[in-house]
Amino acid sequence: MKPEPTDRCRKLLEEVSRYLDGDLTAAERRKVGQHLQRCPCCQHMADSLKHTVEACHKAGSARLPADVRSRARARIATLLASGPVPPRTA
Amino acid sequence: MNPSTSGPSARETDYGALVRAAQGGSQQAMERLLMRAQEIAYRFSLLVCGHADDADDAMQEALLKTYRYASQIKEPDAFRTWLYRTVKNACLISRRKRVHEPARLESLDAVVEHQDGSVQGIDVPDPGRRPDEALENTRLRGALHRALQTLAPEHRLIVFLREVEGLSTREVAQVVGISEANVKTRLHRARLSLRQQLESP
Repeated sequence: MKPEPTDRCRKLLEEVSRYLDGDLTAAERRKVGQHLQRCPCCQHMADSLKHTVEACHKAGSARLPADVRSRARARIATLLASGPVPPRTA
Repeated sequence: MNPSTSGPSARETDYGALVRAAQGGSQQAMERLLMRAQEIAYRFSLLVCGHADDADDAMQEALLKTYRYASQIKEPDAFRTWLYRTVKNACLISRRKRVHEPARLESLDAVVEHQDGSVQGIDVPDPGRRPDEALENTRLRGALHRALQTLAPEHRLIVFLREVEGLSTREVAQVVGISEANVKTRLHRARLSLRQQLESP
């Protein structure tokens, strides 16, 4: 069963995200760290946020579809065959 | 966890070194830069703007500008933020040229219908992965893209640059034109919204 959030948990939502990025002062980090150690709800939130970020990373490494990649390669070949870049005009 | 150093695409490419090599005459380096520019334009078109038909225009624009700029840039290490700014502008201009409809997102796992009536699956399976692994990743990406669609455009842009592309907070601030503090505020709020959408049944 998923742990129920308290009012304190709701207030700490953004701090948990900042905690994961190392984006808190030492005092804030200690406070959030202590809360995480004893709060299953916020631990669940932290794990869930980590999975969210991992899912984003995976999307960034998704391969281009074969036909899109093929068109991209063809464009590059055409461009490079067209000769050097003309000098930039003011 | 430190997303500023762990984004896959940006992390794996040393753009400064590639630009220097390209300026030194390496055709292979230039080809890699030109492919990276098009890959970024493609992902931006799909994930931030949401239209596969815009992607070809944006890829072409990113390609041409990169070819010209990479040969002439005097500070190769500034290339990466220049590239993302250029792609952002190219994609948004392509989008405005189309219609005045709100930006939306397209799942990489969806089938896209082009204006000429042809259809295209956005993703292809990686032959190196086990089928169950590929299926799980496909589901995950589908869920992620549906969740991204629910974000406000300015939050979606931050998530794309920082979490999907792996830019640092400073780089995101330079690309978007806001302060680093604002990037962080938007990022954490967007991340919470995204998480909530991914967790919802």
